[in-house]
Amino acid sequence: MSRSSNGRRSRVAALGVATLVLAACASSSPSASQGPLASGQIGGALTIWTAWGGGELAAFQKVLEPFKATTGIDVSLTTVRDIAQLAINVEAGTKLPDIASPPTADKREDWAKDGVMKALEDFIDIDAYTSATYPALVTCPEATCVDIGIVDGKHYQLYVKTQVKGLQWYNAKVFTDEPPTTYDEMLAITPPSGASLFCMGLESGSDSGWPASDMVGNIIMRQSGAQVFTDWYQGKHKWNSPEIKAAYELFGQMADKAYGGTNTALSTAFQRGHKPLFSDPPGCLFYEQATFVTAFFLEDYPDLKAVDDYNFFVDPGIDPANDGNVMGFADSFVMYNDTPQARAFMNFMTTKEAQEIFVGAGGTLAARADVTNFPDPVFQTAADVAANAKNLLPTPGDQMPSDMKKAYWKSLLDFVNDQSKLDSLLTHLDEVQAASYPQ
Amino acid sequence: MDDRILTAVAAVVGVPIVLAGYLILSERLLGALSAPVQQRLRPYVWVVPAVSFATVFMVLPTLNTVVLSFMDRKSEAFVGFDNYVFFFTNPDTLGALKNSLLWLVFFTGFVVIGGLLIAVIFDRIRYESLAKTAVFLPLPISAVAASIIWKFMFEYQPPGTVQTGTLNASIGTLGFDPIPWLINSTTNNPALIFVGIWTATGFAMVIISASLKAISGELLEAARMDGANELQLLLLITTPLLYPTLTVVATTMVITALKVFDIPYVLTSGAYDTDVIARQLFSQIADAGHYGRASAVGVVMLIAIIPLLVLNIRRFRAQEEIR
Repeated sequence: MSRSSNGRRSRVAALGVATLVLAACASSSPSASQGPLASGQIGGALTIWTAWGGGELAAFQKVLEPFKATTGIDVSLTTVRDIAQLAINVEAGTKLPDIASPPTADKREDWAKDGVMKALEDFIDIDAYTSATYPALVTCPEATCVDIGIVDGKHYQLYVKTQVKGLQWYNAKVFTDEPPTTYDEMLAITPPSGASLFCMGLESGSDSGWPASDMVGNIIMRQSGAQVFTDWYQGKHKWNSPEIKAAYELFGQMADKAYGGTNTALSTAFQRGHKPLFSDPPGCLFYEQATFVTAFFLEDYPDLKAVDDYNFFVDPGIDPANDGNVMGFADSFVMYNDTPQARAFMNFMTTKEAQEIFVGAGGTLAARADVTNFPDPVFQTAADVAANAKNLLPTPGDQMPSDMKKAYWKSLLDFVNDQSKLDSLLTHLDEVQAASYPQ
Repeated sequence: MDDRILTAVAAVVGVPIVLAGYLILSERLLGALSAPVQQRLRPYVWVVPAVSFATVFMVLPTLNTVVLSFMDRKSEAFVGFDNYVFFFTNPDTLGALKNSLLWLVFFTGFVVIGGLLIAVIFDRIRYESLAKTAVFLPLPISAVAASIIWKFMFEYQPPGTVQTGTLNASIGTLGFDPIPWLINSTTNNPALIFVGIWTATGFAMVIISASLKAISGELLEAARMDGANELQLLLLITTPLLYPTLTVVATTMVITALKVFDIPYVLTSGAYDTDVIARQLFSQIADAGHYGRASAVGVVMLIAIIPLLVLNIRRFRAQEEIR
C-alpha cells in the first residue's frame, strides 16, 4: 500500500480515539455507524470466542490484522473449546461474547426465536452473501434449514471457511494405482507386505471417537442415502436399524484392518494418525480424514509436497444411487451482541479479502466459492469436490444434541474395542436418542 | 470499568466493614440491657453472621439442589423420582457408580495403609526427611498435571515398534508385549486409581507421621521391655494410638474418592468403562444440559458422604469429652 506514512499516523490517532472511547464506554455505548462495510475508523472493543487453536488460530489472527488496522477496533480473542460454555452463559444470564460459534443444534431454534442470535439479514447484504457462498451452506430443503442456521427463513450463521470430509489420504510414492470406486474394491486392496490397509487415529481427549464418527457418517450417506442420513442425525431414524447397523459393521471391517490393531487405533491421536503413511517401510496405505489434516502432515514432515508426496481420493461409493453425497464441515460465526463493532466484523468476514487470508494460510477452503488462492493444489481438487457434490451434507455429530453426539462418539470407541457389543451399544444409543432431542 | 472489579472490591472491603458495623452496633444495643439478659443474648448475636453465611452459601444451595433433583431437564416441572430412577437403572451411571465404589475401596485403602506403613518405616531410617520429601513431592502437582504426566507414562505404541510410554518401554526390555493400559478393561481402572494413590499418599503420610511423633517413646520402650516384637508394637500399640488420625485421613480420602473427576476426565474421559459419578455429574450438565439428573447425582454423592460426617463428628465429640 502506498499511503504508508499517512496510514500509520491515522492508525496511531485511532488508537488514541479507541482508548478514549474505551474509557468513556463504561456507561454509554458508542453511537452506531450503519455502514455495511468495515471501512473507516469505528474504534471501541469487540470480544470473540473461537474454538480454534494452533495453526487455525494463527490464520484467524492474520485475518484480523487488516480488520483491526482499518477499523481501529480493539479485538479481544479467546479460545473457548467447550461449546457448552455459551449455553451455560445464556442460561445463567451472564455476558456473552459479541461474536462466537453457533450453539449445538438443539438450541439454535430457541436462540434464534429468543433473539440470543442476531439475524444476518439485519446488518449484511444477504443477497451478495448467499450468492457468493457455496450453495449448500446457505440454501436448504425445509427439513434441514435449522441444521445450517436458518430459522424461519432468516440466516443466523455466517460461514467463513469449509472443510471436505471423508477423504482417503495416501502417500503418493507408495500408492500409485487408480483409486478404488467402491468400498468392496477398497477393502480388497492388498497393502505392501508388513503394512496395514488403513491408519486410524481415534483419540482426541474428551472428544475421542469423533474421527470414527465421521467415517461411519460417510458410510451411511453412501450406503443408505441422504434421506436416511438426515433423518438419523435429526433423531428420526433409529440407531438399531438395518441401515445404521450395516454402517457400523462396514466400519468394523475397516477397523479390523487398522495399523497396529485396534488398541493402536484407539490410543493414537487424530493429529498423529497419518505418521505410518510416511514411515519407511510404510505402515499403512490410507488414512481417512478431512482436508485440514495436511497441516498435521506438514507439522511432522515439513518437506512433503502436495500431489508428489501426498494426495487423496474421496471415499468410494457403495450404492451408485448415492454417488455424489459428500460430507462437509463449515466454520461459522454468530453475532450475539448487536454492536457497531460486531456488525463491522461480520461484514468484514463476508469479504473475499478476509477469506483469502484464511485460504492463503493453508489447510482450508473458504466459504465463498470464488476464493481459490490455494497454496496447496490438492485443495483445488477438494474445492471441486465440494462444488460438484450432489448433496454436501453436514457432519452428523455436530447436528445432534450434545449428549447424543458424545454417546455416538463413545459408542464407537467401545465398538472398536469389542465389536461383539454392537447390538447393546445401538440399543443404548436409541435410549439416548429418545431422551435427548428436544420434543 | 468492569463491574466484576467493583463487586470484588465491595466483597473484600465492604463485607468486613458491614460485619464490624454489625458487631459494634449490636454491642451498643446489648449494653442498654441488663447484665443477665446480655449474658443470654450475646452468643446468639455473635453467631448470627457465621450462621447466615453458612445458610446463604451452603444450606440454601444444598436444599435447592435437592429440589432441582426432583425436577426436569430445565428445572421447570416436577418429575418425582424420575432422575433417581434414571441414576439407578441407566447402564452408564451404574457403571460410574461401580467404578466410584472401586475408587472408594482401593484408593482409600491403599492411601491410608500405604501412608501408615511409609510413615512407620521412614520413622526408623536415617534419611527420613529426604525419603518423606520424595513421597510428598507429587502432592503439590495438580491432578490435571499429574494425569498428563501419567498419560505419557501409559502411552501405547503397536507391538514391535519403539515404545514411547515409560511403562511399556520398561516391560518391553523384559520381553513382554506392550499393554494398552488405559483401554484394556482389566488394567484401566487400576491404572487410574494408581495415579490417585500416587498423588495422595504423601498427604496421608505427613499427617500420620506427625501424630506418630507424638507417641511417647517410653510407651514403646515399656512394650519392648515386656517382650513385644516390632510387628506387635505396630499392630497393638502404634496403630490403636493413631486411630483418631487414621479416621480423619480415611474420611478425607473417602470424600476425595467420591469427588474424583480430573484423573478420569483427563486420562480416559470416562470411556472404556472408567467413568465415575463426579464425571457423570459434569456430563449431565455440560453434555446433556440436564440439571435435574445432575442434581440427583449430586444428592446421591451427598447422601453417601453423610454417614462419614456423622462418624467424624461423633469421634470429635468423644475426644472433646476426654479433654
